[in-house]
Order: sequence, then C-alpha cells, then structure tokens
Amino acid sequence: MNQKPVLKQAFISSLPVLMGYTAMGFAAGVLLAAKSGVKLPALWAFLTSATSISGALQFMLVDWIRTSRPMLDVALLTVCLNIRYSMYGLSLIERFRGIHPLKKLYLIWSLTDETYALEVENKVPPGGDSILYCLTLAGLNHCYWIAGVVAGAFAGAALPFPDKGIDFAMTALFLVILTDQCRERKNRVYAAVGLAASVVCALIFGAEKMLIPSMILMLSALIVCRKRLERFAGTSPELKDEVKP
Amino acid sequence: MTGTSTEYLLLLTLVTAVVTLLLRALPFLLFGTGKRPPALILSIGNVLSPAAIAMLVVYCFACYVRDRAPVDHMFGLAEIAASATVIGLQLWKRNPLLSILAGTAVYMILVQIVVP
Repeated sequence: MNQKPVLKQAFISSLPVLMGYTAMGFAAGVLLAAKSGVKLPALWAFLTSATSISGALQFMLVDWIRTSRPMLDVALLTVCLNIRYSMYGLSLIERFRGIHPLKKLYLIWSLTDETYALEVENKVPPGGDSILYCLTLAGLNHCYWIAGVVAGAFAGAALPFPDKGIDFAMTALFLVILTDQCRERKNRVYAAVGLAASVVCALIFGAEKMLIPSMILMLSALIVCRKRLERFAGTSPELKDEVKP
Repeated sequence: MTGTSTEYLLLLTLVTAVVTLLLRALPFLLFGTGKRPPALILSIGNVLSPAAIAMLVVYCFACYVRDRAPVDHMFGLAEIAASATVIGLQLWKRNPLLSILAGTAVYMILVQIVVP
C-alpha cells in the first residue's frame, strides 16, 4: 500500500520533539561553545550530538572537556547518565525482531527518551508499516537534535552573550527527569537511596571525586537491601510482569 | 592529554558514543533470542535510573557549593529559587522544555543581577 500517510503521521508525531530538541540542543550547543574552550565548537557539536544523541550527556560533556576528565570516568559516568536506555529495548525486542540488521541497528542507536515514547505510542495509520514509521520518527528526531546543538554552537561562538548561569540548564534537566520519576512511589524510594548515598560521598570526597564512590555505594545498597527495598517500595509482586514484551 | 586537544575530543566522542550505543543495545544483545532476563538484573535495572539521576542532582549541587560558597551567596538563594521553579513548573504543567527554560532563566537573572 501507499506509505505516504505513515510518513506524514511520523512527521506530525515528531513536531513536539522538534520544539524540544532544537531548544534543548541549542542550549547545550551554546554551553559547549562558551564554556568548554574547544576550537571549532560547531564541528565537535556536530560529531558528539550525531553519534551519541543524548541530552544529558551533551551537557555533561562540556564539564568533562573543561576538566580533562580521564576516559574511565567518562565511560562510567556515561553508564550512569544513560543506563535508563537499556531498559527501553526490553519492550521493543519483539517489535524489532526479524527486520533488516541495518534498520535494527539504526533504531537502537537512535533510541532516545522521546523517540522511545513515540515508538511505544505507535500512532501508525491502519495498515501502515510500523517499522517505516519508527525509522522516520527516529531519523527526524535525530536531525532535530543535531540541528539544535550545531546552531547553538555557532550562536555561542559568534555572539557575545551574557551566558553566566546557563549551565543551570543541565541541573534543570536532571531535576525534570527526577521530578517525573518521583511521581511514582517506588521511584521515590530508589531516588532516596541515590540521594543518601551521594550526599554521604559528596561530604567525604567532595564534588570532584564523589561520583564513582557514590555509584559503588548506591549499587551495593540496591543489591544488598534489595528485598527490603522492594517490600518498602511495594514492587516485588509486579516485577515479573514488566519482563513481558 | 588536555580536554581541548583533538585527540581527547575524538576519544571522548568515541567513548561516549560506543558506551551509549552498547547501553541501548544491551537488551537486544542479551535477550534478543528469547531468553528471560535474570531477576537480579531486571530489578536493579528498573531501579537504578531514579537513584542515578538523584545522584547527578546531588553532584550538580555539590559543584555549586564548591564554586559559589553559600555563605557569600545568600545561602544558595539562586540555586534554591531556580530549582523550585523547575520542580514546581514540572509538577504543574508537565512540560519539560518550559520547566528547563524558565528555571535556567531565573537562575541566569539571579546570578547575573541579584546574587553575583
């Protein structure tokens, strides 16, 4: 059948992301140009945004570049920032089964929070190709993100801009994710574990060195107190249901 | 290797891209053949995200405490007011972009004019 309605619907579904990604990407791009000290910020804005497609990472990068963070730290922090992505695939395994490996690779590579949400919503017109819908959505969102970050990098490099405090966008992004997660009681319990572990480590190790020990403490607490936390969060019986595709 | 050198930036791009791709691919690599995920992995995976994001929020605030001594900066007025804006707007309007832009604007105005 004619797949034009699929493309059209994918574009319409992606419009909110167009707004969000260009604006957020722009802020991240400005920050990269203004604060990291790299030459050719637009080039690095393009390379980093095109390959990672990750909002929180795009903001954190600036700090890593400025402080020349060791690569082991970078890798561990990337895991911390983006571990949530590895949950998304669980509900898409069946949908993506048996499709062309390159298409599958691209769909996995481009799986951001927003793209995932739209793919799960799956507003594909009746009789339309759901994989074509996902690919179009993913491709559009990918382009929006790159365009936002690169435009921001150009703007940040070209304009003298009173940018003091713009780095709060990253804190704000984390606060938004956390606020949304904390609408659920179980997430509040686990957020409290992360909060407690990291405050302790911040006090002992200071801002510079707190992240790795916090991760270790947090993971140990989550594993050791697993049963008790599950009971407290009220999640132990439902866990199995979330496995089903 | 300084952060702004080409080698560092290339390595950074590569490491972040590969780690992020692996995270996204993990469930497909582990369970693509129909195996059931082990319970421990699943339960940790489900709960790690809120804990990790909470940690990153604490990290951001630890950096503010380090860079802007609270005693000299009205005890974090700018940080507290901007955070309250973000959380309040997000709870109310559920629009991430609005919350982030408004909170950042509040922060930028406060640190540039009121509590430099």
